Amino acid sequence: MHIPDGYLGPPTSGALYAVMLPLWIAASRIVKKTLRTKQVPLLAIGAAFSFVVMMFNVPIPGGSTGHAVGGVLVAILLGPWAAMIAITVALSIQALLFGDGGITALGANCFNMAVVLPVVGYGVYRLIGHGAPRGSKRRVIAAGIAGYVGIVAASLFAGVEFGLQPFFHHTAEGQALYCPYGIKISVTAMVGEHLLIFGWVEAVVTALVVKYLQKHEPELLGQEERA
Amino acid sequence: MCDKRRRGSGLAGDFVARSIRGALTFLKEAVFAEETASLPGLLQALDPRVKLASVLFLLLATMFARTLPVLGMLYLVCPLLAVLSRLRLGFFLVRTWVFIPLFSLAIAIPALFSFVSPGKIAASVGIFHITQPGLRAAIFFVGRVTVSVSLAVLLSLTTRHAALLKALRAFGVPQIFVMILGICHRYIYLFVELVEHTYLAIRSRSGARLHHWQGRRVVAWNIGQLWARSCALNEQVYGAMLARGFRGEPMTLDRFRTQPRDWVWLACVTFVCLALTTLR
Repeated sequence: MHIPDGYLGPPTSGALYAVMLPLWIAASRIVKKTLRTKQVPLLAIGAAFSFVVMMFNVPIPGGSTGHAVGGVLVAILLGPWAAMIAITVALSIQALLFGDGGITALGANCFNMAVVLPVVGYGVYRLIGHGAPRGSKRRVIAAGIAGYVGIVAASLFAGVEFGLQPFFHHTAEGQALYCPYGIKISVTAMVGEHLLIFGWVEAVVTALVVKYLQKHEPELLGQEERA
Repeated sequence: MCDKRRRGSGLAGDFVARSIRGALTFLKEAVFAEETASLPGLLQALDPRVKLASVLFLLLATMFARTLPVLGMLYLVCPLLAVLSRLRLGFFLVRTWVFIPLFSLAIAIPALFSFVSPGKIAASVGIFHITQPGLRAAIFFVGRVTVSVSLAVLLSLTTRHAALLKALRAFGVPQIFVMILGICHRYIYLFVELVEHTYLAIRSRSGARLHHWQGRRVVAWNIGQLWARSCALNEQVYGAMLARGFRGEPMTLDRFRTQPRDWVWLACVTFVCLALTTLR
């Protein structure tokens, strides 16, 4: 899901930085208003948590492993605005210090993984889990569906961003200058693999972690009441 | 696009070994990056803010490059800077080519053929035809990705990570973000170590390989437990911040001092980037 440098042209990268700027400002203001001073380190620790969640190897049938992004999980635990900041911080560290995801594509990666993924996923979680007790089975199912829908939505946006490149940037002979695949191929490839494989990884991890916390640390699932 | 899948056995017990290996590699690379950042080389001697700005200029020049010779010239700059910064050339090339450029190369292969890139045929492989526009598009795509990755690797290998995060202040990133980045950076290592220790404990206690379903439960327990520890840690970190004088407003210590060589370097890079961007 991490878009490296060189996949997107300057207008797409610039536009997605421009889209992210007001969202980062809004997220900072909302979080500053709702978070107590005592909880400030929680944002940093939440960011470190999101970073490490992406490193977990999750076994999938057939002996392979995949990686969950954990964006919806972080949104369920911290709330969507705080998740936006935490995931942005994690993605910035990945891009700047570890070369995972591009520096010029940071705006696009943040838009897909720090906005679309947690916001869509959290919306689905609230919709399905609305009114259900904190420890109910419905919340676990809601978390799983939210993880799946969130990651598929993020992959759809990434696919569209890739697919727009040959349309926007090509030479007079029609040669693509950035990602060479049109929208049909890009969206099919990105959404297809997330619908079939990585969506399920995200769904199972999100649901099982919520189930674990319901059983062992139910007070840590109180974000909805705090929000 | 960068989700990784690796082939393994029918059962998924070795996800534990992979996780331990992943954690160890991460910690080793971080220590190694700190070591290379301390070497007496060209890039290491620069002010982190100037270095970040110059890498950004070079990245933008790479992004705007529209001809292969320009991209080639930008690529040549990278190993040259690596050598001048006392990085081993072999190591630098391996580090920059694995994993993203090779992955991009695999992605670019279908674009070579006429069913994706119609145009004048350059070569044929059975019933498939490689076209000239397809070939150029694939070279451009992989080339641009490789130059960008090389620049990002140069930046991270020649700058102390904590200094690089603090340098973001010079680009208008709010202090609260810089502070969060700094704290986050420290706790990533603690968490990775925790994960490594937990998985080592699981490995030493489990005799048989786990079914993939059990494996996913183990991963979920670990993530859940990590979150519980994170919340407990929050109290301790806040206490430590108060003890160090935190009064609700973030403060970062910036001890950066630019020298004439930093400005000369920035001027040279700006000139080269402008020249390459306007070159046709």
